[in-house]
Amino acid sequence: MDTTNTDILIQTRDDLITDFLRGNESGFLEKYTRILDEYFFTVFEKSISARKMTIAGSPFAVIALGGYGRKEQCIHSDIDLLILFEKTVPPEVEAFVQELLYPLWDARFEVGYAVRNIDECLDMAFERFDILTTVLDARFICGASLIYTGFMEKFRFELAGKHLKDTLNYLYKHGEKRHFDFGDSTYLIAPDIKSGFGGLRDYHTLLWYAKIKSDIKTRRDLEYYGFLSNFEYLSLEKSLADIWRIRNFLHYISKRKCDTLHFEYQTELAGLLGYWKTKRQPDVELFLGDLHTRMDFLKQINQITFEDILSSVRVKKGTMDSRPTKTDGLVIRKRRLHFANTVAILQKPDLLLKIFLESGQRKIPLSIEARRVVSEFLHLVDEDIKKNPACIKIFKKILSLSYWEFNVVNVMLATGILGKFIPEFSHLVNKIQYNHYHLFPVDKHSIRCLQIVNSFKEKNEGRTNSIYHAVFKEVRNKNVLFFAALLHDIGKSDPAKEHSKRGAKIARPILSRFGFNPTEIEDATFLIENHLSLVKTATRRDIFDEETAVYMANKVGKIRLLRMLYLLTVADSKATGPKAWNDWTENLLKDLFLKTMGILKRGELASRKARNLIDRKKADVLRLLKESWREDETNTVLDSMPRRYLVHIPALNIVDHINLYRNLGDREFIWQISKENESDIRTVSICGKDRPGIYSKIAGIFFLNDLDIVASQAYSLGEDHILDIFKVKPPRDKIFEREKWGKAEKDLINAILDDHFLDRALDKIPRTIQVSSGKTPEPNTIKIDNETSSFFTIIEVFTYDFKGLLFSITNALYRSRTNVNVAMVATKVDQVVDIFYVRSIDSDGKIETEPELEQIKHAILNSLPKITAKEMNNEEN
Amino acid sequence: MKKIEAVIKPFKLDDVKEALSEIGIYGMTVTEVNGYGRQKGHKEIYRGAEYVVDFVPKIKLEIVVSDERAEETVETVRNAANSGKIGDGKIFVLPVEQVIRVRTGETGTEAL
Repeated sequence: MDTTNTDILIQTRDDLITDFLRGNESGFLEKYTRILDEYFFTVFEKSISARKMTIAGSPFAVIALGGYGRKEQCIHSDIDLLILFEKTVPPEVEAFVQELLYPLWDARFEVGYAVRNIDECLDMAFERFDILTTVLDARFICGASLIYTGFMEKFRFELAGKHLKDTLNYLYKHGEKRHFDFGDSTYLIAPDIKSGFGGLRDYHTLLWYAKIKSDIKTRRDLEYYGFLSNFEYLSLEKSLADIWRIRNFLHYISKRKCDTLHFEYQTELAGLLGYWKTKRQPDVELFLGDLHTRMDFLKQINQITFEDILSSVRVKKGTMDSRPTKTDGLVIRKRRLHFANTVAILQKPDLLLKIFLESGQRKIPLSIEARRVVSEFLHLVDEDIKKNPACIKIFKKILSLSYWEFNVVNVMLATGILGKFIPEFSHLVNKIQYNHYHLFPVDKHSIRCLQIVNSFKEKNEGRTNSIYHAVFKEVRNKNVLFFAALLHDIGKSDPAKEHSKRGAKIARPILSRFGFNPTEIEDATFLIENHLSLVKTATRRDIFDEETAVYMANKVGKIRLLRMLYLLTVADSKATGPKAWNDWTENLLKDLFLKTMGILKRGELASRKARNLIDRKKADVLRLLKESWREDETNTVLDSMPRRYLVHIPALNIVDHINLYRNLGDREFIWQISKENESDIRTVSICGKDRPGIYSKIAGIFFLNDLDIVASQAYSLGEDHILDIFKVKPPRDKIFEREKWGKAEKDLINAILDDHFLDRALDKIPRTIQVSSGKTPEPNTIKIDNETSSFFTIIEVFTYDFKGLLFSITNALYRSRTNVNVAMVATKVDQVVDIFYVRSIDSDGKIETEPELEQIKHAILNSLPKITAKEMNNEEN
Repeated sequence: MKKIEAVIKPFKLDDVKEALSEIGIYGMTVTEVNGYGRQKGHKEIYRGAEYVVDFVPKIKLEIVVSDERAEETVETVRNAANSGKIGDGKIFVLPVEQVIRVRTGETGTEAL
């Protein structure tokens, strides 16, 4: 068989690709375009059906559209063709399409085509934007060139005459939608180098805009027609060359038209592109870093294009002139900030900073020109400027003006002025963390984190945001938070080190340069050093355990720090990416924050006083147990003890309890009965396994054995033990005291085994009690506090003392399926205030619903005897 | 083959992973999930405003093992995830009809 045109096409294409892979990369896109052009040209020349149609009076043009039209053909780019007739489309065109395209389809080229006449084409172009843009890129290949030029003339005429404003509006809206759909693609794990923000489409948009406005023909015209400066044009060429090169390799290794830089491809691509860390290991981070720089430039280009479109669509005539700003030396022209003249900068170098303040406050971007001027005059930012209090104030103000939609700090980074003020920040630039978790290079992530903190100013972001807004409002020194946000990852300049600690160390001198006072510096460095601790604690410890919140509260220590740490944590997670931030993490963090805040506000367990007290006690206990126990053993037990216990129990007793716990072994419980000084009171310390209702059962057997409870405290010990302390009056019959205790102990064993063992004791509880205070007695009162603690429902019982009181109440609690975790029981004369911290046995949490709370309240009230006054009783008798 | 689905407390994940790797099970799918069973959601109050936490954050593990290993795997997960409290989670065991490794087309326990 003869060599067909398709064979030649495939051969030359493959040669071209081989050449490309060998490193001969320049001009690939145009060369490939030319090869395709040649194919179409040859087929057309030889085509009998084409000749027939021409002879029959239906000449036509073969036109390249889209990327092929722009001569930007990558390895697997689509080939878009338009076969254009002047008026009627003859049926013979079918045969021509077969000749022209079938071999290409068979050879697996992605070819799209349309056969239309001029009027159809015009109608469709102005109806559908995606068609309009392909027409903007239309390029004649072969056939009747007059049809092509005729069509283009009509198109331009109609575009300029009727559709200019609509088209520009469309371009603008389409761009907005694309950014919304694709997001900031530069920093996605798999950036889309075509459609994403910073992708090739941003350049296409500029090109289309220029074509619409000025009918430019090629990319080169962008500079000639003043859409870009020479500097910008050169940067654009460089960025495009790099991105196209990456795109070609991406097409090559994915074997298809793939514009998403999938995670799986990144290592291979880095190698192909010549990024090597070592001889064997490609440097993916460096590759991505360079890519981001290029895409960043396209983003800037896009921002300018959009601004231009906006001003040409919306701004009225007359605004072309310069308008002054309230800063002398800065003017606004075409909705951009400019320096009035560069000489002024030499006299007032603080303008280099003020332009960003103006920009942030008025939400007007710097002109590209102004950006370049800032970069070129950076040497003027000397120590005098950096130490000038007014400049420092401006710098701080700018940080509070950084938003996602209008990112003035990013522009400061790009122009180099941020690095001038914080040289340490420069080490973070384009530092990529190559993994699935981090989307942004560290510098962009840090700025994003700052933006998100700023977004908490607004109340609008739905329900969940309201808590951030509420907390943000309470942060008094916001500059501390802003700096902590910007600098929280400053330690990442050295990946080997633990970045939080290192970051705090690096941040210290920066903060002091910015004139923060020692307290502020302590706060900010604390935040930087601990910026991961909330997340770590929320995900790695049981947040339903009060001790977790107490631990966190003690670590943070201050309410103002907790507020800032929470906001920093949220912003940091949000700025990292969707793996780090979702509903799940949000819920965990919010919960831990609120619980920790609860502990800090009450102070009981997390005040400095409490901390000192506990430290002292721990030291005492360690000393007292030095002889008999190893220090680490003692520490383990101490760590399992709740803070509430450590705050309230004296060191000597703690020692007793630790010994009890060690001697417990496999038994259900053991107790120790001690006589206090000369008083007539026995202290019973009971250590045992945590069984539902155990506290009530102990109270019950004391009652059963006529041992009067004067006071009591209940604690849990570690996960599954309890430690209860009862102060009781000894049995009246002192001679047989030992036997009495022995019986009580047996009863407790029975009560633990048999849930109804104590039922008979219930009958002995008095139905009424008489109060002889002379006044009208207070009625029994139950107060339920469900707000103070995140972990317990707190129940306070006010009543008068009677035998079996504690058993009666705690039994009612137990039968209502709650567990007493903490109890503080004390009697004053005959009035009693008992406080119980309870959790539901079923859900191991607070009692949340109203009916349940009501039920518990009634159960307790019913268990209490009726209070009557003695006098009234007499009268009745 | 059996699929073992375990819903556990988030902070127990490392323990469970470690325990499973000790018995030679390295592959699993881990998902962050929200839900509630007997351990219900709750309310928190901050400056007078109520913040309801409807669901309790949990971790879901999915492991597919041969029939013989199922019991041992379940026991291992159970022991490692147990804190003796409510909300420790649940383990579901489901029959699996077939497993196919996408790359090679291997099937059955070969593909595990």
